[in-house]
Parts: sequence; C-alpha cells; structure tokens
Amino acid sequence: MTHAARFHGVSQVFGDFTAVDNIDLDIPDGKLTTLLGPSGCGKTTSLRMLAGYLAPTRGTISIAGVDSTRTPPERRNLGMVFQSYALFPHMSVADNVGFGLKMRRVPAADRARRVTESLELVGLAHLSASKPKKLSGGQQQRVALARAIAIRPKLLLLDEPLSNLDARLRIQMRAEIRRIQAETGLAVVLVTHDQDEALEMSDEMVLMKDGRIQQQGTPQAVFPAPANRFVAEFLGYENFLTDAGGATTTIRPEHLALSVSERTPAAETGAVLPGVVLDVAYRGVDVLVTVASADVSGARVELLADLRAESAPDLTPGADVWVHVPATHLVPLAAD
Amino acid sequence: MRTRHPIAASLAVGGYVVMLVPILFVVVTAFTAGSTLRFPPDGFSLRWFEAALTYEPFTSSLLSSLMLAAISAVLALALGVPVALAVHRGALPGRSVVEGLFLSPLIVPELVVGLALYQQLMVGFGLDNFQTLLLGHTVLMFPYAVRVTGASLALIDPAVEDAARGLGASPGRTFLSVTLPLLRPGLFSAALLSFITSFNNVPLSLLLQSRDFRTLPVVMLDYVQQNYDPIVAAISVLILAGTVLVAVIAERTVGFARVFGGINR
Amino acid sequence: MRGRTALLVLPGLAILLVAFLIPSIAMLFSPPGISPGEVFARLGRMLTDPYDQAIVVRTLGLGLIVTVVCIGLGYPIAYLLSRSTSRWAGVLLALAIFPLLLSSVVRTFGWLVVLGSQGAIPQLLLTLGLVDSAPQLLYTPLAIVLGLTQIFLPLAVVASYSALAQVDAGLDEAARGLGANRTRTFWSVVVPLSGPGVVVAATLVFAGAVTAYTTPYLLGGSRQRMLSTQLYTYSSTTIDWAAASATALIMTVLVFAVSGLSSLAARRGATS
Repeated sequence: MTHAARFHGVSQVFGDFTAVDNIDLDIPDGKLTTLLGPSGCGKTTSLRMLAGYLAPTRGTISIAGVDSTRTPPERRNLGMVFQSYALFPHMSVADNVGFGLKMRRVPAADRARRVTESLELVGLAHLSASKPKKLSGGQQQRVALARAIAIRPKLLLLDEPLSNLDARLRIQMRAEIRRIQAETGLAVVLVTHDQDEALEMSDEMVLMKDGRIQQQGTPQAVFPAPANRFVAEFLGYENFLTDAGGATTTIRPEHLALSVSERTPAAETGAVLPGVVLDVAYRGVDVLVTVASADVSGARVELLADLRAESAPDLTPGADVWVHVPATHLVPLAAD
Repeated sequence: MRTRHPIAASLAVGGYVVMLVPILFVVVTAFTAGSTLRFPPDGFSLRWFEAALTYEPFTSSLLSSLMLAAISAVLALALGVPVALAVHRGALPGRSVVEGLFLSPLIVPELVVGLALYQQLMVGFGLDNFQTLLLGHTVLMFPYAVRVTGASLALIDPAVEDAARGLGASPGRTFLSVTLPLLRPGLFSAALLSFITSFNNVPLSLLLQSRDFRTLPVVMLDYVQQNYDPIVAAISVLILAGTVLVAVIAERTVGFARVFGGINR
Repeated sequence: MRGRTALLVLPGLAILLVAFLIPSIAMLFSPPGISPGEVFARLGRMLTDPYDQAIVVRTLGLGLIVTVVCIGLGYPIAYLLSRSTSRWAGVLLALAIFPLLLSSVVRTFGWLVVLGSQGAIPQLLLTLGLVDSAPQLLYTPLAIVLGLTQIFLPLAVVASYSALAQVDAGLDEAARGLGANRTRTFWSVVVPLSGPGVVVAATLVFAGAVTAYTTPYLLGGSRQRMLSTQLYTYSSTTIDWAAASATALIMTVLVFAVSGLSSLAARRGATS
C-alpha cells in the first residue's frame, strides 16, 4: 500500500497541554480516512499540522514520500475545506474557486475552464457569479469543496465539513463527498466527531483520544471489535460487564434479550442475569429498557437493552426480569 | 413620538436643546447683515461668509489644518495598522501590554500631552512646531488606528487567511488579496475618525502653534477672544457644512453610527 | 515568526516613545532649565496655596456637576432611543452623535451667541421686561456647566446607549410578565444591568470635563479659572515650567484616579 501522508512520532505541545502525543499515522493513497474522536482529542490539531498551519513540536510529517515538516502551507499543494468554509466574502464563487489557480499563474483561459469543471463536479456551475453570502450553507460547503479540488491537490483535507449543516443535508453530503472522492481518486482526510458519519464514509478510520491513536482500521474491522472501553463507548456500546476472570467485556444493547421468566427465550450459551426494570422508553421501531442488575462478578451494573417493539415483552418500571447475555456477542476489551 | 415615559421624555428634550440649539443660533447669526453678534440678527446678508473666506488667517490656517489632519491620519494608520495586525494575528509576547500602550494617549489629558511635547520637543529639543504637531497628532490618532482596525480585524475569520495560504498565497500575498480588502471598512472608519479628531483638536495644537503654522480652531479661538463680530459664525457654518458632508460620506459607506458611535444598529 | 511580529510593532512603538511616553515623563523631572525635584516642590506649595486650591476645587466641582447633568439627560435619551421601535429613533440617535464630530470651538461659540450680553437669552429677558439691564451670564459657573454639558452629552448618550442596547428588551417584557410595573421594571432590571456602562459613561464625561480647555477658556475666561486654563497661562504667558508641569500632574492624577476608581467599581459590580 502506498501512502499519501505519514506522521512519524509527531507531538504538538501548547504550553503545558499536549494536544497530540507522539503519534505514528499512515494516510493511505486514494482512500477516505477519517480522524474520529471527541473534542480535544487532537484530531483537528493533527489535520492542521498536516496542512502546515502548525509546526509539530516533535516528529516529522511526510507528504507523498517527501519530508514536508517545515514546508509552509502555500507550498504543500493540499486542498483544505474549513469548518466555517472560509470562503472569501469579497470574491465571487468563480473567483473563490479560481484563487488557487491564480496563485499558480494558470493562464486565464485554462483557469476559467478548470473553475467550471470544479463547479460542475459539485453541481454549482450556474452560481459562479454569485457572492458567497447569497448562498445557502450547503452551497457554500460545495464551493469550498470545489475551491479545494480545483488546485488538483495531493490530498483533500476536510475539517468537520458537515457539522454546520442541518441533519438532512448532512446525510446527503456524506454521499456527495464519497462520490467526489471516487470520481477524483483523491486521498481524503476527514475530521469528525460523529461516529455514524465516520462509519458510513470511511475506508479507514482512526479513533483518537487525549492526543493518542486508540484504534485504526476499516469500519468493518473496528466496529465489531473495539479495542478498549473508550472506543466501545464512542461507537455506542452501552453495557460493560466484568467476566469471571476479572476482564471487562462489552455488548451492544440490541444483542441483549429480556424475559419475564428465566427460561424464555430459549437460552443461547451465555449468562442469564436477574434484574429490575428502571425505565422503559418507547421509540416506535424499538423499545429501550434500562435494567438494574449484577454481573457474574457480583458488581452492580445498569444494562441497556434495545428490543424490537413488536416482540418486546410488556414491561413497566419495577418489574423483575431476566437479562440474557449471549456469549457470541460479548467483546473482550483491553484496559484503556 | 408619544411616550409612556413622561419624565424621561422631558429630560431627553432638555438634552437635545442643550446639544443642538446653540448650533442653530450660530447658523442664524452667520447670515446677519449687522456687524455684531446681536440677537435677533439685523437683516439678511452673505457678507460675513465673504469676509471669512477672504480673511487670510482663516484661509491659511484652514489649509494647515486640512494638511495636518490628512498627513497625521495617514501616518497613524501606516504605523498603527501593523500594530493591530501584530496584536490580533501575530505571535506577540505581552500583546495586551502593547495594545494598552498604544491606547494610552486616550487617557492622558490632551493639554498635558501638548505641554509635554511643547516643553520637551520644541523648547527642549528644538524641533520646529510643524514637526512637533505632526508627531503629536499622529500619536493622538494611534488609539483609533489600533482599536478600530483591530476590532475590524477581529471580525475576519482567521480561517479565511489560512485558506488563502493553503491555496498557494504567500503571507504577503494573503495580506494584500484577502486581509486588506476585508479590512477596508475598518480602515476607512479609522481614517475618518482620525481626520475629524485631528482637524478639531484644540488642546494639543494650542501650545504647539507658531506664527508660521497654526490650525484653524486655534486661530478662531484667538479671534473670538479679541473681536465680537459674526465672521466666526460664518466660518463656523462652513465648518458645520464640511462636517455634515463627512457624516454623509460615513453614512453612505460604513454607516454613520458605526463609525462615530461604535454602534451597530 | 516572532521576529517578524516585532518588526510590525517597532516603528509605531518608536514614535510612541519619542512623541508621547518619554516627553510625558521627562516633563515631571526635567522641564527646560529647571532642576530635578523643582516640579514636586512646586506641587507641594500649590496644594497648600488657597488660590490654587480654589482652582482645583472649582475644577472638581464643575466636573462633578457636569457629569451628573450629562448622565441625568443622556441616560434618558439613550433609554428612550434603545427601546423605541420608531423609524425616527435612528435619526434622533444620529443627531445625538453628530455633535461629537463638530469642532468644540464651533459648539462653544454658540453659547456666546446665546448667553452674551447682546445674545438671545439676555435680550429675551429684556424684551419680556423681566430684567432692567442685560444680566451677566457669560464668565459664570453656569455658562461653563452649560457649555461643558453640550460638549460631553453626546458622549454620555453614546456610552449609555451601547450599555442599554446590550440589555435584552426581552428582559423588560419578562419582568412585566412576572408582575413588575413599568417603573419597577426600569429600576430593578434595566438600571442594574446597564449600570457598569453608565459608570464608564460618567468616567468619560468627568475626565473630559476636568481637562477640557476650549469651553472654560471661552465661557469662563479669567474670572472662572480652571486647571486647564491655568496650565495654559503658566506655560505660555508666565512661562513658569515648574508650575505648568505641576498643574499637568494634578490633572493627570485626577483623571487616572477617577478611571481607576471606576474600573474598580466595575470589577466589584461584576463579582457581586
């Protein structure tokens, strides 16, 4: 596998705060990589170091095999889309998209052609004369994408590109960005705090916390097998149990089953724990039931079960239930 | 305007009377045909305007004032805008101290600054009065240059400048093609404010006058003290007209209340 | 990076030092031909001399009165304008700001026309038969108060307006909805929330009033001497550098003390 970019032992220290702590990271060529994590995990700082806006305190960053640690942003040839879009408010859409080409002294005729191409790619060729202020958030987002792509960058960097859009537009733009990635064949690095976005869009996902990489891999590899409790919680695992050996395991809410008697439903291999219903939340398709229970080590736990609405037993808070924990879905976790 | 606040409304009316009515009396008096500041005026004529425009001390000091205001406003911006950039964008150690220093001419009484410059630079150091005036007015305009352009700079998303860099623009090119155009309203506001403040200044210019170079307000002050005729009313009306013109320009461009009151409506 | 940033600041800083900071400090210690320490000795004598004391007291007293009058008239203007939905509010606000742009010589000259012995008010009083001869209104404390109020009222309006505009009008409505009447709402919601802004406005007016020159010079003359007119006399008529520097020091200390007190008040207001 070839690499579009490579972090080697990179740290970023602000005063006594370590934003990025000695990370090694390979960004694969021609794929979409997401940096995923809660705010303050170091994902945006990493992106800004890759783009050249921040010099690493330690370590090296190479782009397309060339050490670029000290290269200023204007000589890295990377396309960046900012969270605020950062369109130039005093220039038309076409001038925004053509700005990078002008800096590269591309002749006017070529420039016009490439601006149109880029705007066509995002479906906005008809708005080339407008000022950014006149556009909707989604349209501004597309102009920012077109502007970044027009310079034919080595990498496309997207900093939380969807966080300022409303929910429906966000879903739509996920597919749009995938399509553009596929059509251009660019390596894309996308920073996000939204695990659904990362799962849906990534070829490769990198989970970060406290400036360190927690886990890296394809969504298909990471999701069923979170490496530690942080990754599990971040990906929506709610239930944490200590097994007989004292190790922590986790299981997703939809894999728990509840019954009013111990033997139904037919038990798979695994544990059956007694508990008391604390809360029942009806959500149309499914029902979320919170149960106070104790795991095999005897520790008190609260478990969340996500049941299909049509097959859920009729439960009210205070009812005694049995929680079925199938062994096949239990995921062992490493210590954090 | 009907009001549900009768007490506040009558105080407000009183306030407007004190602020504006004396100015109206100046305007009326300027058109008198008589030769004193008598009220009501004796008939209508434009003779005092003619007198004001042909009175050499007024015309030469008007030119001096305009020149001084223009040069010192340009100097203050040329020196102050880089400071605003350093404070808001650069890696400046002790940036609040630096900003405070450049705002400090606003706190020290202008008459005191005038005395300090007169005593130390003119009498003590032997600078001529135009050089001293220029230095003094420039320093007096620093707070406007630094604060007004700084406020305008703070409204520009730094990501816009980052974006230009990422697209291949050098820091200098980024400043010229992105920062400067976005800063234009702030620069314009600061320039107008500086110009007006310098043009109207008395306390600083007072001690720094010489026979060769005096500003209009200082000449008017001297004239009023010695003569009691409507020529000053006429020159006042001309200044009023010029000031209205500046206000209209401000309103048409950046917004009058925003430039001169710091108010965004 | 750091080096380049310093280069941006240096030219301005050099001018600031040469044309402001160094002369201001040197003025206290070495006026031309004066031995160091002379300024402070002179200051000590001035503070015990009844003539100079009277000037300080007059300056402080008139400054205080002007401050109270400016806030008393300016705050209501700002309040009504900030709460008005009328399309005239913008025009009235502009009319209150406009005098800030107009030369203080022009504005003060207006009072000569109004208050002078042949001016509007004395002539009106004569015509109405209320007085036998034109009363002396110029060169009185009243003339100075009127003149300074005209000069600094726009400042009070602008500063109060900025403070009031930040008080959400929704809070007025919330208080009314909770049963407070108009007066109660004003005193228990609007005034406390705009208070710090009013302190700033009062400080600006006071600092301006005790250091203004044009108005005391034209309307007070030599009969109503204030610190500023006295400073000018010392430095251009009698050329008494020590006295001029000492007067400048008194003025500066006054202004700094009031600014310091007001920012202290603002900080205490913010924490309580």
